Amino acid sequence: MIEVRDVTKRFGSTVALDRVSFAVEKGKILGFLGPNGAGKSTTMKIITTFLAPDGGQVTVDGIDVLEQPLSVRRRIGYLPENVPLYHDMSVEEYLVFVGRARGLANPRLRERLAWCVEACGLRTEYKKRIQELSKGFRQRTGLAQALIHDPDILILDEPTSGLDPLQIIGIRQLIASLAGHKTVIFSTHILQEVGPVTDRVAIVNEGRIVADGRIGELTERAMGENRVFLTLRRPATEVEPALRGLPALSSLRALGEAPNGACRFELRAPFRHDLLGAIAGLASERGWPLTELQESRYSLEDTFIALTRAAGSQREVA
Amino acid sequence: MRNALVIFRREFASYFNSPIAYIFIIVFLLLTGLLFMLNFFLVGQADMRGFFGALPLLLTFFIPAISMRLWAEDRRQGTFELLMTLPMRPHEVMAGKYLAALAFFGVTLVGTLPIPIMLNALGNPDNGTLVTGYLGTLLMGALYLSVGIFTSGLMRDQISAFILGVMACLIMWLLGQTFVAAVFDGWIDGFGRLLQQYLGMTSHFEPMLRGVVALGDLVYFLALTSLFLALNALWLEGRKY
Repeated sequence: MIEVRDVTKRFGSTVALDRVSFAVEKGKILGFLGPNGAGKSTTMKIITTFLAPDGGQVTVDGIDVLEQPLSVRRRIGYLPENVPLYHDMSVEEYLVFVGRARGLANPRLRERLAWCVEACGLRTEYKKRIQELSKGFRQRTGLAQALIHDPDILILDEPTSGLDPLQIIGIRQLIASLAGHKTVIFSTHILQEVGPVTDRVAIVNEGRIVADGRIGELTERAMGENRVFLTLRRPATEVEPALRGLPALSSLRALGEAPNGACRFELRAPFRHDLLGAIAGLASERGWPLTELQESRYSLEDTFIALTRAAGSQREVA
Repeated sequence: MRNALVIFRREFASYFNSPIAYIFIIVFLLLTGLLFMLNFFLVGQADMRGFFGALPLLLTFFIPAISMRLWAEDRRQGTFELLMTLPMRPHEVMAGKYLAALAFFGVTLVGTLPIPIMLNALGNPDNGTLVTGYLGTLLMGALYLSVGIFTSGLMRDQISAFILGVMACLIMWLLGQTFVAAVFDGWIDGFGRLLQQYLGMTSHFEPMLRGVVALGDLVYFLALTSLFLALNALWLEGRKY
């Protein structure tokens, strides 16, 4: 359980975090999204006790990060954005060092080493010096370091940066497999990455949380309306009045007529109404020959852009 | 203590993981050996006064080279964030690092032991003064290292940490020199001598070369060393960025 309440952080005159609040329940995974420089890393550094907040409160399993930083650190596995590796050490030496520093001793240490090496796919690189490793293996060594003491809480800052698509899938699966028994916050600016791992996200922009919730809910809130495209071979003059009669329709736009006599429309209605079903019903009732009937799905990108833009324009107005 | 030991082991091993350590040891031994030999054949006495006498100035350059990487390197490569989020207190990390640097310096000093062994084989040196000379050197190294680890924390790259460390150690050395004290005395009478006595390093080191270990001198070294380590610990604890 991680609770962040009204956390503020300034670097000189810049406000890096402005009353940031969110919570992650035990065993849940939170995707932490935002453009570069939005405050993701700063928030994570505060949760992991690396930085102290200027205001607000952060508790991990009910323990305040400022009052008992050591107990908090013991519970957390942390992968910082700049993977903290000692290049002169081998993967084995490095993981043994971090394991010991986290209080592990044999035989438990050996057991955890074996698990981490397996889970992070490091077996072939185990004896190599870290400076010889590729970016992907360095990233995985960093992840292994965060997992070595089997922490209940994982804070992963851009865990998939620098990895190739196959490795990304591997790390994603690893994170997803932690769901249920570990509390995870992972940040990313690659939005496609979030969906397969979790549906719970917090979006941060310019030091503020602009959205926090399930991806579906956020989309509905950000976009407001559902969009449906319809194409059929009937004169627009016949179709349009019928469509206007649909309940809850908020806008109807004719997108022109094709030479073969087909016309295309864009219809919008609030998310809670089944616009697609209503149109399908109408079409079968009238015997319209449909050539296209599709709901345009909003991607997380659309939601993200809408939310971060909305926040930006609000600030300009203020 | 266990925590500091974990850090100590890594730091100490990392000195020997890079060629710089070996270069450092070889250059140091060559230089001090050469200085000793010149003096030895010139004066023809079975003692190490010339050897120890050269160290205060020599170490102002050598010690910061040992200590420069202690924090600066971690800050550059991001491992500082790892160290500061381990379940140990910052001063335990510092103790491990400091002791590793001190141990490395100790190893270097062990490399000079052929000199007293040779003296004993060739002549009849006063072994008491040799022991106190080594004690003084170790205390001086400990002091310079505490200055060095402190300056390493202030800098993000090793070269700046080195230069700042050399400057700090050099100031400490200069304050102990009579010609510097005379300059300060010229401005405010007694001020230079006061600085020389309380802050200058040489006046507390030289008695040990004569075999005199005064309590005041021990207190001087231990107090100043503790002061710089405390400053370093304060910097770590008070770090908020």
